[in-house]
Amino acid sequence: MAGLTVEDLSIDIAGASVVDGVSFSVGGGEVMALVGESGCGKSLTAFALLGLLPDAAEVTQGHILLDGLDLASLSERELRRLRGSKLSIIFQEPTASLDPLATIGSQIAEAYRLHHKVSRREALAKARAMLVSVGIPDPDRRLTQYPFELSGGMCQRVMIAIALICGPDILIADEPTTALDVTIQAQILDLMKQLVAERGTGIVLITHDMGVVADIADRVAVMYAGRIAEIGPVDDIFAQPSHPYTALLLASVPRLDVSPKERLATIDGSVPSPERFGPGCRFNERCPLADGRCRIDTPPLLAHRPGHFSACWHADRVSEIARAAA
Amino acid sequence: MNGVTPVLELNDVAVHFGARASLFKPLPSPVRAVDGIDLSVAPGETVGLVGESGCGKSTLSNAIVGLLRPTRGSIRIQGQEIAGANTALLRVVRRNVQMIFQDPALSLNPRATIGSAIAEPLAVHGIARGQALKDRVANLLEQVGLKAEHAARYPHQFSGGQRQRVVIARALALEPALVVCDEPVSALDVSVRAQILNLLVDLQRRMGVSYLFVSHDLAVVRHICDRVAVMYLGRIVELASRDTLFSNPRHYYTRALMASVLEPDPVAQRAKTRSMLSGELPSPSNVPSGCAFHTRCPAATAVCTAERPELTVRPDGALVACHHA
Repeated sequence: MAGLTVEDLSIDIAGASVVDGVSFSVGGGEVMALVGESGCGKSLTAFALLGLLPDAAEVTQGHILLDGLDLASLSERELRRLRGSKLSIIFQEPTASLDPLATIGSQIAEAYRLHHKVSRREALAKARAMLVSVGIPDPDRRLTQYPFELSGGMCQRVMIAIALICGPDILIADEPTTALDVTIQAQILDLMKQLVAERGTGIVLITHDMGVVADIADRVAVMYAGRIAEIGPVDDIFAQPSHPYTALLLASVPRLDVSPKERLATIDGSVPSPERFGPGCRFNERCPLADGRCRIDTPPLLAHRPGHFSACWHADRVSEIARAAA
Repeated sequence: MNGVTPVLELNDVAVHFGARASLFKPLPSPVRAVDGIDLSVAPGETVGLVGESGCGKSTLSNAIVGLLRPTRGSIRIQGQEIAGANTALLRVVRRNVQMIFQDPALSLNPRATIGSAIAEPLAVHGIARGQALKDRVANLLEQVGLKAEHAARYPHQFSGGQRQRVVIARALALEPALVVCDEPVSALDVSVRAQILNLLVDLQRRMGVSYLFVSHDLAVVRHICDRVAVMYLGRIVELASRDTLFSNPRHYYTRALMASVLEPDPVAQRAKTRSMLSGELPSPSNVPSGCAFHTRCPAATAVCTAERPELTVRPDGALVACHHA
């Protein structure tokens, strides 16, 4: 099938299972958000998609299929041909992702020339066109500038230009707006939406921010401690969360459209570290609904509504949490 | 302020950087990071300071705790002037003003136990020694939701949220009148933020401490603050009570900030009109003439380029610096 499919992906680091049985897919023109806190495995999953896992990490099972092609079957050379042309990534800190000693123009052109046999001049023309389409004013001057001469928001636009210049099918965006100010964040999210609509690029968006998810995602996978807790259409997940973690996470975020309250709902404790993952549901220590079964048996992802799955033995009681927190 | 001495009183505070005269070059224009701030914080009050990076909010908080010397203006902590104060006086005054930084991992010495971290300010000021000091540390740990036996542990043995609790315990050890909180929850996981915000509110109720709460997150500020000051390029552009500011934001910059806040609710977020704030923050070394916001403001006219609007009182008590709001 077209697009990117991840099937039952598991990753171990030093014997600890940091990603465990993660499956999701993203098609053209669709934004799939992986949301979760630090240590939930969302960034490792993203790196695995590009074959960029650190040496200590090992894929123990599962498949990553791009347009039906299994990435695990490819050589490093073949993978390199794929990266940047069919599959691209942008990172959180745009200024750290750019070479401080190379001009903006040469960095964008380089990405194009890696995959196309064209002259430097043609590649620069292509880079200029790309700067225009990511909304950078005065492109001719920008091409000759260095990253330090650009603001953080402008650098992120340049990163997006580099990522998209070869017209990839899938863009992986790892916390693309976390380092930016709110007014600039809005501009970058609008740009990403526009590119998805115009170019049909599919986006895998990694974030911890429920506001970003609500703004741009079509579907969401909520991750907790290496597993998908809940996955489904964005409206459905926010309106009727079916995992206690999602419900509590939503209730603990202060919101502008709800009157200020005395106390925020909290989730007791903190995310366990991977060497402490026990049997059963990994959220059980912090979960108000947990009982004996949750501490022994791992709940499977089950459908509650069309396309909306959650991994909780007590999914039918999650609405109680949402009500109690409200 | 009904005769009560404010915990913090700022009068025309400015912090400029980098203007050093040279024999051969003309004097370069200084970076006006903070340029003429008037603000006060009452006992037990929480005042929010919001704005984007580069607006001067962190520079101002560093000046308040005495980490930077203001270029001009007066900073009074409980009526005592600290601008230009000597080191001996600063040490006395600093007992009353403490700071919590964004990243708790960077605020704690990795080689010192958290017990000694919390005990240090008490020892420096000669407040407690021996068993009394140990008891005080144990009590502080319990106040912030940790256990007395944690005192012997090192920072790396705690999670981010727990480390921020340690930093809060240390800040409160001297029972300061004012704690400057610089983005205290921004580095924490979402599920832990609510715990820390609740803790700050609880401690304020119990101890009557005032907070100057510096943040870029408007939803957090609205949750915790009584009054809010919005900064843009070194100046306050709007100052109002929480309810007034959030129900009726007047300055176009405040409105743009609010429109940029992403609601964690897809239906509400889609219904929201996005502010089309074009462009980016100008450099504070080259602040635009007149109203500094005119280069990005949708309502700017000729007067905005020519004349700087002063903060003026509006019928509902809000202070707004805008010709058109």
